[in-house]
Amino acid sequence: MFLARIEGNLTATRKHPSFAGWRLIICQPINQTGEAEGVPQVAIDPLGAGMHERVIISSDGMAARKAVGDDKSPVRWMITAIVDEATPA
Amino acid sequence: MRLGTVIGRVTLSRTVPALIGARWLIISPFTREHFQQGSDAPPGLSKDPSLVVYDDLGGGVGQTIGFVEGREAACPFDQPTPVDAINGALVDHIFYNPFKK
Repeated sequence: MFLARIEGNLTATRKHPSFAGWRLIICQPINQTGEAEGVPQVAIDPLGAGMHERVIISSDGMAARKAVGDDKSPVRWMITAIVDEATPA
Repeated sequence: MRLGTVIGRVTLSRTVPALIGARWLIISPFTREHFQQGSDAPPGLSKDPSLVVYDDLGGGVGQTIGFVEGREAACPFDQPTPVDAINGALVDHIFYNPFKK
C-alpha cells in the first residue's frame, strides 16, 4: 500500500471489459512530507476521491478483482482509503 | 496500471504453447516527467527500461496505453500463462494536473 496524491484521470474506450464504468485515476505516490516519489500509477476508484486529495492505494489484485466482480480482470491498483490526516513521526 | 508509449512490436516464431498467436508491443513507460509535459509534447523515450507487453486490444506504434504488471497480468488467461505485463487500456485522453504546494 502506498500513500499517494491524486493528480488526474484518464479515459479509454478500448480497455479490458472489467474496467468498464470505473474511474481510472492517476495516483502519484508521495513520501511523508508530501513530495512526489516514484512513478504515477493508475488505480480504480470505488470511493470517489477528489483532485489532489491524499489517498491510500493498494496493489492487492485479489481484492481489486473482487471489487470489479471479474475473476479474470488484470486490475491491480485500487484506491482503498481517503486520508484525512497523516502525521509523520 | 502504468502508462507508456508504444514504440514497437515483437513477433515470435517459437514460443511456449500458451502464447501461440499472441501480439506483443514494446513499451516505453511514462515517468512523472512525461505526465508533466502534457499530451501535446512528443513523448520521447524514458530512462526506465522498455518492456514487452502482451496485447489483445490492438495497440499501435505511437499510441499511449495502460499496462498492468505483475501476477495480475496473467489473470485474464484460462490456462497458466507466463505473462508478466499486459495491455489493459488504450488511452484516449489524459487529464493531468500536478500538485504544487
